[in-house]
Amino acid sequence: MRLLLVEDEIDIQSFLRRSLQEAGYEVEAAPDGKTAERLAAASTFDILIVDLGLPDQDGITLILKLRQLGVRAPVLILSARRSVDDRVRGLEQGGDDYLTKPFALAELLARLRNLLKRNHPSASDATRLRVQDLELDLLRREASRGGQVLQLTQQEFVLLEYLCRNAGRVVTRSMILDKVWGMRIQPDTNVVDVHIYRLRGKVDCPGQVPLIRTMRGVGYVLKDR
Amino acid sequence: MSSKTARATMHSAAWRISMWATLAFACGTMVVFVFLQSFVAGDIQRRSDAWLSGEIETLGDVAERTPKDTLYDAVVGEVAELAEREVPDRSASESDSDNSVFFLQSGSDGSLKLWVGAGNGDAHLKAIQAARIPPDRPTDVRVTGFAVPFRVACIHIADGSQIFLGLSERDELRVLWNLRLRFLLLWLLIVLLGFGIVFFTTRRMLSHVQKITEAASGIGHSDLDARVPTTRRNDEVSHLADTLNRMLDRIESSMHQLHTITDSLAHDLRSPLTAIRGKLEMSLSNVSDGEQAEPIVAAIDELDRLTDFLNKSLDVAEAKADALRLTRSVIDLDELLRVMIDLYEPSMSEKGLKVRLRSGGPVEIFADAALLHRMVANLLDNELKHLPPDCSLTIVLHADKETASLIFEDDGPGFDPEVLLHLFERRVKGKNSNGHGLGLAFIDAVARAHGGTVTASNRPSGGAQIAVALPVASEPRARALVQAVSSAN
Repeated sequence: MRLLLVEDEIDIQSFLRRSLQEAGYEVEAAPDGKTAERLAAASTFDILIVDLGLPDQDGITLILKLRQLGVRAPVLILSARRSVDDRVRGLEQGGDDYLTKPFALAELLARLRNLLKRNHPSASDATRLRVQDLELDLLRREASRGGQVLQLTQQEFVLLEYLCRNAGRVVTRSMILDKVWGMRIQPDTNVVDVHIYRLRGKVDCPGQVPLIRTMRGVGYVLKDR
Repeated sequence: MSSKTARATMHSAAWRISMWATLAFACGTMVVFVFLQSFVAGDIQRRSDAWLSGEIETLGDVAERTPKDTLYDAVVGEVAELAEREVPDRSASESDSDNSVFFLQSGSDGSLKLWVGAGNGDAHLKAIQAARIPPDRPTDVRVTGFAVPFRVACIHIADGSQIFLGLSERDELRVLWNLRLRFLLLWLLIVLLGFGIVFFTTRRMLSHVQKITEAASGIGHSDLDARVPTTRRNDEVSHLADTLNRMLDRIESSMHQLHTITDSLAHDLRSPLTAIRGKLEMSLSNVSDGEQAEPIVAAIDELDRLTDFLNKSLDVAEAKADALRLTRSVIDLDELLRVMIDLYEPSMSEKGLKVRLRSGGPVEIFADAALLHRMVANLLDNELKHLPPDCSLTIVLHADKETASLIFEDDGPGFDPEVLLHLFERRVKGKNSNGHGLGLAFIDAVARAHGGTVTASNRPSGGAQIAVALPVASEPRARALVQAVSSAN
């Protein structure tokens, strides 16, 4: 996976580059918009990370220019600004996802994987989802494990569906809040954990191999093997 | 014009101003006319008196010099008739002059000696004798059978007889009556015209003031780029509009400055925070020992709390300055609360808390979704953190035409009375709170940014109550605003 990282802060750029390389990305970094344009024109990338506050131009302008150059790869916007407008503008002008600084590395990686998957849709249109012995019937809104139907509430089903669609990938609490409840909030309390805890109680019965795992300080993952 | 608009017009300042102006104008012109009329009447009287005095003197002279023979009557009568032809102010149409002038000579015994005029002169003689006219000043005499009085002059001649010359005041009164009629019509026309001009000018001017008022009240907390309408005329109203616009320019620029400051502050703090967090995470991935990882995880947690504090502080600071930036859309509070309660209910019941929503159905408001989400999450976090087990929380949502009320009531211990007074100030928190004391200040900030209010109190039956009131955007207006926003993008 080739990734173009456009970030002017050297400190952030260096740790991001290292972490992303460790995560298996082939990273090219650009400290400003001009370099980014040159790199994007020279070769193709699978995904881009663009900081909005670049020294030579606005990040949104850069994204628009890159889109005009024919760059189709998904773009994750990073911003240290506070304005909500930025987010809306960024997403409308060709950005695919948005993350405010500071962010958890795991959050960034999870969102990147999500974007890449969105760009290469696989079985997302299927009416059934299967992860190991867990099976979700999307039409009948019914989940079963090892042939045993699980008694889930509407909300629990949506949560489990989200985990299944991202099976094997870490999803963070804010991603869950964003995608399952449709809100970008940072609760001071453990509201998401309690939902997961309840869901786990229904999905991972005693004696079965636990499917939902907690990644400490990061989020959750539904094991796919 | 319907009765409603008529009533509105009669309550307008333009109406009042034109009423008073017209009244003053009408009274003024009336006074001027009364003065003018009495002047004209006096002048006409003087002219006819002068004529009477002149003529009576001539007649007296002629009567005295003419021998008292048979020719006397003919000579004096001829002179009197000649005099009649010179009557002043006679209108051309009045060819019949018989009624307007008379000449009368009475003997020393009071009998009628000579008469020139219409009729036999008896009635005139009787009236004159009753009036006792002084010899040197013409006097008004009313003669039975005549509607209009006569102006009569008198002269005594040597033989003891008296000569009277009478002039009907008919012509004089007609002139004055014509004058009055014409003036009254003209006066009415001018007053109505004046009223119309004053009313429409003031209404036009004041309608501009009204437009300025409407535009100014439409300029809300967050949309400061609008300006009040200006005119090309260089009058007080256009000065008002220009001054308001200059004031708005200054407010907008200081608001912009505030945004720049908070943005750059946020940026300058966030970049190093990002780098620190990244480095901590990397070092975390390098340690396998749980004991070594512990302080790093704790540091990351502290960092996240610091970030949250930074965000909320800046939001609260901006909101205190009425400068919170809103991205508004139509939001159903009922649905928002249901989703939120769905999210929080498991945590609540885990802690032994019951939560209940009492709502009368959808309540649409025009607000910033992200901020409202955070506000409600804050309220629920607050309850979750501070309510002891086995308490219950009731959320009541209701709305009238103007306000949507969102009331959080619990049956817990309530607020600390010392804290209650300063609840919405920054950095105020209860003794047992481990937060940074921004939660309620943030709730207050969001409500204020939307033109609403928050009140906190302890319920008489025990427990705390926080009531948030938010203005309901009327539907057409909300839709129009949404369209304007989406077309602007």
